[in-house]
Amino acid sequence: MTFAIKVENLCKQYGEQQAVKGISFTVEQGTLFAFLGENGAGKSTTIEILCTLLKKSSGQVTINGFTLDASNDNADIRKSIGVVFQQSLLDERLTVRENILHRGKTYGLSKAQLTDNYQFVSTYLHLEDIEEKKYGTLSGGQKRRADIARALIHRPSILFLDEPTTGLDPQTRQFVWQAIKQLQLETNMTVFLTTHYMEEAAVAHQVTVLKQGKIVAQGTPDALKTKYAYDSMALVFQNAQEGVKFLEENAISYTENQGIYTIRLTSTLQALPLLKKAEPLIASFEVIKGSMDDVFLHIMAEEEVA
Amino acid sequence: MEALISLVLRNNKIFRRDKTQVFFSLLSVIIVIVLYAVFLQKMQVDAIEQLTEATPELITMVNEWLVAGLLSMIAVSTTLGAYGIAVKDQESKVQADFLTAPLSRATIQLSYVLNAFIIGCIFSFIALLGCEIFIVTTGGKILSFGDFIQVLSILFLSVLLASVFNLFLSLFVSTQNAFSTLGTIVGTLLGFLCGVYVPLGALPSFAQHIIMYFPISHTTLLLRNAFMESSIANVFDGVPVSYVEDYKMNYGIVYELNGHILSSTTSLIVIVCTIVVLSLASMILFKRKYN
Repeated sequence: MTFAIKVENLCKQYGEQQAVKGISFTVEQGTLFAFLGENGAGKSTTIEILCTLLKKSSGQVTINGFTLDASNDNADIRKSIGVVFQQSLLDERLTVRENILHRGKTYGLSKAQLTDNYQFVSTYLHLEDIEEKKYGTLSGGQKRRADIARALIHRPSILFLDEPTTGLDPQTRQFVWQAIKQLQLETNMTVFLTTHYMEEAAVAHQVTVLKQGKIVAQGTPDALKTKYAYDSMALVFQNAQEGVKFLEENAISYTENQGIYTIRLTSTLQALPLLKKAEPLIASFEVIKGSMDDVFLHIMAEEEVA
Repeated sequence: MEALISLVLRNNKIFRRDKTQVFFSLLSVIIVIVLYAVFLQKMQVDAIEQLTEATPELITMVNEWLVAGLLSMIAVSTTLGAYGIAVKDQESKVQADFLTAPLSRATIQLSYVLNAFIIGCIFSFIALLGCEIFIVTTGGKILSFGDFIQVLSILFLSVLLASVFNLFLSLFVSTQNAFSTLGTIVGTLLGFLCGVYVPLGALPSFAQHIIMYFPISHTTLLLRNAFMESSIANVFDGVPVSYVEDYKMNYGIVYELNGHILSSTTSLIVIVCTIVVLSLASMILFKRKYN
């Protein structure tokens, strides 16, 4: 197994404050890796360190086989990574094509190579309709397309995205997200992204949850769901007293909120026999599948207590 | 190297396409032209009429005086404007994007300096052509080839000085707000410190000293000498030498500091030394800022 990114005991200190407290993880080549956490959890700090923008305080980082900070300018690493920032950082007064080519030239590619690469990203992100427009006149979604194209112009093997869909309308978010997934599948690129949208993390190969500078959970979305999320059923009884009596007689634990009784299930199928039994008592019901949102909320809540 | 060229071209395009920025960097020059049209020209002509007969050549000489001041100011105001891109890139985190490419901070900074220098050269050259057209259409003579080369060399030096001077200033600034304040201050002071808004002789002696010690005013001085030399000889033909010397001192064509008349060589030395010192200081400042 080859690792695109290997992080061991990474720490970052800002004066007295420790933003990242000794985290370790690996990202397998060609996978989609999601970094999850609340604001201020240390996500951005970590991604900035991995992108060579910020010096780490201690720890060991290897990216594409190159040790971080082994050389002064990390040129080997920089040539092999592409970064999409939260903000739009291209020049408003230049066209999309000018923007991408000007920045592409900073990678020391040959003219032919750059033209080839431009052709690739332009086709890939459907830049045909916007490439001659000034970047400043584009909509949010069009800007994001250009941003991603810029990050890919040197054909990096790892793409970092720092909250790439934050602040976008749902349709644009969908488009950006599709583009990222497709790219990862077709080019076998490693994608490392931070997000706070749980449904985005759900399609990643690997999810790591960060809290207050520490990793509090990691694994595949399925493994995390199994551990932290559960299916449940919400019931409303015709007569609440009879309903409670039924639950207690059958030794079913529940929580109640405004007349809605929630029962934890081990699987959605478990609801069937229960519903049959209680049918005459029930006014309405809903079976709820455990989601990544639950994972996130439960991890955060659990660690709060710990 | 290719990366550096690409960055410089990018900076250049951004500056040229920002019409407001271009306008504001020419603002102080526009003010000079207005002041000149309103009263600076008349004031000077009136003063000289008391020494000698007014001739068309006198007007030309005074026009040349204006042109020299204007050209020295344009070098400073346009190069300063060009550094606006550096400040904006820093504040808006565009530099972070550059830094994910295999570029060093020094390369990025150098691209701003080269761009400022190129912008300064382009605008100075255009202004020089405009000035020559102005002088010729108002009845003056076009610069001889030798003088033209001399003026070009001084302009080159003056743009270099201005690029380094503004680099130094821009390193103290990290927000666009602060930068526009800097622009206002420099734009306002410059006209005075080069003795263009108000002739040197009209100022109290401490202010005269400040101007003489201000390195950029030496480019104004050299330019005035280059432009006006033959006109002065013509206009003041037959006027006692002491009067001519007085005129030259009052209008900042020669400096007399502590009883010594400064030579052109002295001015050149002042300019070159300032370039060297400010370059070194900027490098130190730059290293401190990012380490």
